[in-house]
Amino acid sequence: MRWAVCLLSVPCLMGLAPLRSVMRADEPQAAEAAAAFRNQVAPVLARYCTGCHGGAKPKGDLALDGYKDAQAAEKDRETWERVLGMLELGEMPPKDKPRPSPAELEQLTRWIQASLAKTDCSGDKNPGRVTLHRLNRAEYNNTIRDLVGIDFHPADDFPSDDVGYGFDNIGDVLSMSPILVEKYLAAAEQVVEKAIVADAAARQPVKRFEAKELTGGDRLGPRVMVSKQEAWAEYQFPKDGQYSLRVKAFAGKREHPPRLSLRLDDREVLAADVTETKDNARAHEVKLDVPAGTHKIVVSDAARTAPAGNGDEKGSLLLVEFIELRGPIDLPASHRRIVTCEPSGERSRAECARKILGDFVPRAFRRPATREEIERLVKLVQLAEQQGDGFERGIQLALEAVLTSPHFLFRVEADPEPGDPSGVRALDDHELATRLSYFLWSSMPDDELFELARRGELRKDGVLDAQVRRMLADPKAHALVDNFAGQWLQLRDVAKVNPDADLFPDFDAELRDAMERETELFFESVLRDDRSVFDFLDADYTFANERLARHYGIPGVRGSEFRRVSLAGTPRRGVLTQASILTITSNPTRTSPVKRGKWILENILGTPPPPPPPGVEELDTSKEAMLKGSLRERMEQHRSKPMCATCHARMDPLGFAFENFDAIGAWRDFDGSFSIDPSGSLPGDVKFQGAAALVDLLKTSRRTQFCRCLAEKMLTYGLGRGLEPYDRCAVDGVVASLEENDHRFSSLVQAVVHSDPFLLRAAKGDEK
Amino acid sequence: MTRHTAVSRRTVLKGLGTAIALPMLEAMRPAVAAAEKLGPPAKPLRMAFFSVPNGVHMPAWTPLSDGYDFDLPLTLEPLQAIKDELLVLTGLTHDKGRANADGPGDHARSAASFLTGCQPVKTAGANIRVGISVDQFAAKRIGHYTKFPSIELGIEPGRGAGSCDSGYSCAYSNTISWSSESTPVAKEVNPRLVFERLFSNRLADPGGESPAKRNLYKTSVLDFVSDDARRLKSRLGKTDQRKLDEYLGGIRELETRIAQAEKEATADFPDLNVPPGVPQDYAQHARLMCDLVVLAFQTDLTRIATCMLANEGSNRSYRPIGVPEGHHDLSHHGGDPIKHAKLQTINHFHITQFAYLLERLKAIPEAEGTLLDNCMIVYGSGIGDGNRHNHDDLPVLLAGRGGGSLRTGRHISYPGETPMTNLFVSMLERVGAATERFADSTGPLPLLS
Repeated sequence: MRWAVCLLSVPCLMGLAPLRSVMRADEPQAAEAAAAFRNQVAPVLARYCTGCHGGAKPKGDLALDGYKDAQAAEKDRETWERVLGMLELGEMPPKDKPRPSPAELEQLTRWIQASLAKTDCSGDKNPGRVTLHRLNRAEYNNTIRDLVGIDFHPADDFPSDDVGYGFDNIGDVLSMSPILVEKYLAAAEQVVEKAIVADAAARQPVKRFEAKELTGGDRLGPRVMVSKQEAWAEYQFPKDGQYSLRVKAFAGKREHPPRLSLRLDDREVLAADVTETKDNARAHEVKLDVPAGTHKIVVSDAARTAPAGNGDEKGSLLLVEFIELRGPIDLPASHRRIVTCEPSGERSRAECARKILGDFVPRAFRRPATREEIERLVKLVQLAEQQGDGFERGIQLALEAVLTSPHFLFRVEADPEPGDPSGVRALDDHELATRLSYFLWSSMPDDELFELARRGELRKDGVLDAQVRRMLADPKAHALVDNFAGQWLQLRDVAKVNPDADLFPDFDAELRDAMERETELFFESVLRDDRSVFDFLDADYTFANERLARHYGIPGVRGSEFRRVSLAGTPRRGVLTQASILTITSNPTRTSPVKRGKWILENILGTPPPPPPPGVEELDTSKEAMLKGSLRERMEQHRSKPMCATCHARMDPLGFAFENFDAIGAWRDFDGSFSIDPSGSLPGDVKFQGAAALVDLLKTSRRTQFCRCLAEKMLTYGLGRGLEPYDRCAVDGVVASLEENDHRFSSLVQAVVHSDPFLLRAAKGDEK
Repeated sequence: MTRHTAVSRRTVLKGLGTAIALPMLEAMRPAVAAAEKLGPPAKPLRMAFFSVPNGVHMPAWTPLSDGYDFDLPLTLEPLQAIKDELLVLTGLTHDKGRANADGPGDHARSAASFLTGCQPVKTAGANIRVGISVDQFAAKRIGHYTKFPSIELGIEPGRGAGSCDSGYSCAYSNTISWSSESTPVAKEVNPRLVFERLFSNRLADPGGESPAKRNLYKTSVLDFVSDDARRLKSRLGKTDQRKLDEYLGGIRELETRIAQAEKEATADFPDLNVPPGVPQDYAQHARLMCDLVVLAFQTDLTRIATCMLANEGSNRSYRPIGVPEGHHDLSHHGGDPIKHAKLQTINHFHITQFAYLLERLKAIPEAEGTLLDNCMIVYGSGIGDGNRHNHDDLPVLLAGRGGGSLRTGRHISYPGETPMTNLFVSMLERVGAATERFADSTGPLPLLS
């Protein structure tokens, strides 16, 4: 029964496996592994496992007795992943059965990890598949900004996105609950209302010149006759902008119809034959851009401006009731950008709608729109017309539908055709452009990417590289700071820490902001200056303003501006000694070497420890206990318990190295009355003294592990899915690329973009 | 829209956590009356579920004697005024909160199983799955009587970075409502947004458009997008289809609501003011959420609500009540009496907010009795003792008289291992969503009536 339940959790174990398998960069050679299996693994299996998991009816359908040698065993990856998971969780062997000694356990897990690490990367590729990905909050906001051109963050009011694999852009976890659908619809309404002004002219200030206020022309009662002599008004346009000019006029009873001509200064801006008579007179309108200043608005009868002569009774007669102008029509840039066509005599509403939607929909859906999609949207524009609303209201309605459509809200990638035997296909250029832009910008592709995709050139030699370079240089790449660094380094948690105000009176909102800002600027500088990723570990510079510099004891920094400062002569190096990281890994009242160690294992080395078994006593922090010894001494007692020892031996020494930094990251020589002992050792009895020394060690003896960890994090973020065992080859590729390119940040990004999981899509993996 | 206010809602919702002024409640009456015209039954039963994280300090929670004659223990003292409306249920168990060979992760499991009674699949992301929760099960059966089938509230937003618990996706720790086995229902933590959602058609400035036209436009947009979703669905793999099913479910709910809105009487509804956003102060925040549950129940906008008073495993510091340490850190008390006392202080604080909710419900007349008479409000945690992470002997309260179907004012001790889901079976029967079994239930919970 226990195994039956456990089967459900295989995805989890698989999720852990790649992380585990990377622990040992020093893969034993084949012969060594074979010997290890014969001498160390097989006997342990026989002693503790095969009693149940063997024979004719192995428990949980798991047989561990059938392997004649290491080679046979290694083929059975899935089995070993299950076994490894159970061992790490301490679930097997059951508590009432004899259990292996820690040394035996170590031998067994070490062998499994090593053999799992041997992935054959030459065979069939499995690039995996990304679950239909809903835009998360950041992506939604950025996409609206780039698509519509308004600075408005409707998603700030959306429920927060859940996190999986450490990031909030994981397709599997981005669910779509009813309340979100509701929020999307409401947001779409708000966005179009802000972006497009329906019936804009009607809302603007009006100036009307009645006939009697016009100069020139021939007065005829309440009207003015302009056929013989033009009439005009002068008006001071308050500023540059679009104005609407309307002239209400009709034709007198003459042989020919008059032709209304409206000029702004010397430029004719409207010309129309006037057939209406006094009873059905109407206003003729034109919208145009007018520069600020005084302009002359002239109305005349073009049918009579010919030299035909004065008082030709047989000619035309144009009578004007008024000239009216509205404006400036303060149309937002978004309106001008989207509403690129105004229905007029020549262009029907439907035609204009097609033009506008034909531009907008492909950008919103991040792919060419089908004719049928456009026509269905045009119907919405027509619906507004039927309801007596203006053209812009119709466009608003259509855009509302676009912004609520699943094609906009989800990043759609269709699966390979069911009949395709390989089950793998390359993404098309639009899908690829979309993956790129959401990876690097957390937003939609820009015009250049769309154009390349349209021409099918994105995969041409050098194009992808050049695009990645261009995109990293773009200000929009700041999204990597907010969303990748914010989550990889857990910077987003800085906003939530609660250091105890009595113990840390120095901590305030200003310091909190400065902490976060420092690490953001630091990450951004590695990104912008394309520095080595090892800068994250041991950079001897950082960014500080006066407040933070005071916190660090760095002299000579004045004012609230952040600037690059040298750390030479200080005990600080890289992100691990930045106040942000030191604070989020502390408790409100004290430092937590365990949390700091765990943070390093998770985010720097990629080998998270399992959580404590239930029922373990936490450290006693009562007053009496404090008198008994330093935090370190008491923790050492704590981890002398066998059930705690294994994991704490990995976490604590890492954390203790940073004990000279208090719970808000300030330097200290004493913890209460105890002097700090920041010494420790890594497995293999490598000793170190203090944070800087540990950082050096990490950079030298754990360099590959760090690169792997970063590669895994970046690949997870770039793909928006958790890594699976078959992604190991892709991770290898990213690590190799780092090694070959002086560990430059850009090579990390380039390698992720050029990896199979990023460029391809498999149908496999669906329906777990 | 002119805001001619007979009784300003602001006085209520701005008065944060202070007792509600009675005149306002009377002013709301016509709305209740109007809402009651909507559908049967005339005295609808409401159900709500409030969860607290990290277990509670049980020695200060569990009454010493059973039946009517019991004294409220220290933690439950704030409930003194409504002791008669209350059942303290001891001995309930969530077996699916246990590891059952899935290893560590009791916090994530306790929240995921709290209302579902199911074992969550251990995954950090791919294939998140547990089971439908009791509130959503009811919403699917009786939700169509009200404008909102259910509302889901909370105090803490989801975690923005890192991992939540031992290889379990954060969705499990941050959610107690699941509308299907794979769809966690996002909760709303901003009181202003809850309010705007509930009362949108009264707040929105129509900008000259008639409600009929607005609804026509909305329906047309929804038609368009559901058409899109159906066409798209046919081209996708199974996992992706599930996402679109979630989407289509949301669209359908909106369509139903628009149809409901057309039937809704609008004339008598009092004018309302919008509450502020998210208050800094925890108690103010929690009380606003309680106010909103009361308001939604009173106006019969919904009959089902859930509220997470904090996310599971929350390490919030409760400095204003003198507990600066993190709640989760403290819950691993290791038997330390000082930590016990601090935990008890936090537990007491949470119960104080819950008492506020119940007192408000009780202050609202409905039919011959009070609104609370027609409620069943569960309060509890999916963990018993935060140090042991046990999932038996859970702290559970059931408040309200269930329309007269509950004999309240008692402490009932059940035999060990009695499934918590048996309580759900009994509640579902009472709200008109009867089911023989719910998750791992073994039957209805005896002794309630």
